[in-house]
Amino acid sequence: MAHRVTIFAWVEGDKVFTESKFSGGKRVKQGDVIVYDSEGNQLLEGKTDDKGEFSFGVPKKTSLKIVLIAGMGHRGEWTIPVSELEDVAGPQTKITPSQKAVRKKTGKQPEISHLSSNEIRLTVEEAIDKRLKPVMKILVELRENRPTFRDIFGGIGYILGLLGVAAYFNYRRKSAEIDGKKTD
Amino acid sequence: MHISEGVLSGPVLVSGIVLAAVGVAVGLKKLDYDRIPRAAILSASFFVASLIHVPVGPSSVHLILNGIVGLILGWGAFPVILVALTLQAMLFQFGGITTLGVNTMIMALPAVFCYYLFGRLVGRQPRIALPAAFVCGALSVFLGAVMVGLALTFTDENFLKVSYLVVTAHLPVMIIEGIITAFCVAFLKKVQPDMLRE
Repeated sequence: MAHRVTIFAWVEGDKVFTESKFSGGKRVKQGDVIVYDSEGNQLLEGKTDDKGEFSFGVPKKTSLKIVLIAGMGHRGEWTIPVSELEDVAGPQTKITPSQKAVRKKTGKQPEISHLSSNEIRLTVEEAIDKRLKPVMKILVELRENRPTFRDIFGGIGYILGLLGVAAYFNYRRKSAEIDGKKTD
Repeated sequence: MHISEGVLSGPVLVSGIVLAAVGVAVGLKKLDYDRIPRAAILSASFFVASLIHVPVGPSSVHLILNGIVGLILGWGAFPVILVALTLQAMLFQFGGITTLGVNTMIMALPAVFCYYLFGRLVGRQPRIALPAAFVCGALSVFLGAVMVGLALTFTDENFLKVSYLVVTAHLPVMIIEGIITAFCVAFLKKVQPDMLRE
């Protein structure tokens, strides 16, 4: 059994994608994924596929706590803050600053103004999501943070330090014994 | 065999901490100064062994080495394993700080148990010592897996089912650790035979 599982989740359009791994890089197959809202109510649950992936549509506009239960005492979690879900709740009617900018531009160039600002927004979002996909993959890889040599040698250093402390007390004890004998 | 944070219920965590504290106290009392360097080396080995993944089987498993730690240190396995687990939790995020007690019990209790079973046998001639060492290495992993099942029973998972899963996941590790323990004992018998007789 591994010792650590990680789940990483990101929002793409109106879906949330998750990827789950054991430390060491093995994917979590058939792990239970449970999604909670900010108040701790369970929203939905599912299982990871053979690639350790699980995706679901955004159920509610709240911060999502995604918990992975990989069995045999393994648990990992990831929280998506509500700010990342801001643009998700379907086509919006309010005009965001970017839409205003688009409007100004389209005013100057009437030949491309057939598209509604909402359509432009959706198209742009789609294109960005598509472009960002490889970047998200790289982020997932980076998030794995396997133990580095610094961690390993740091740990060994701590153990040697403890050995040093013990040796110091041993030395104190021995020299105290010798001193005791001298004064006798 | 590290149980993650947030899996176990409060009473299990607390009793794990209490029992582990007793074990560590006994271990420290029995660990005299002359054996401290030995304990430090074994602690470092245990600490690093968890990074060696065994790519066989359904889950992701790694070496544990609690058998050889118990064989050489006896009750000293408790403080040694606690130190290594603390560092693993802090540096590698394996297990967790609140589960330290339970995780220490999971790995150190089988080590002490195997020490009483095999501690004398490995001091005998190689015909007896080597098979004993192999069984010691394998059995300590097996018992650790059963301990995991036991700890998880109190939450809501079925004891037999979880133990079965953990044991099968660790079958390759049991064999590998048996071989490693046998090699260590064979090596120590040649180089430092007095290390096996305490």
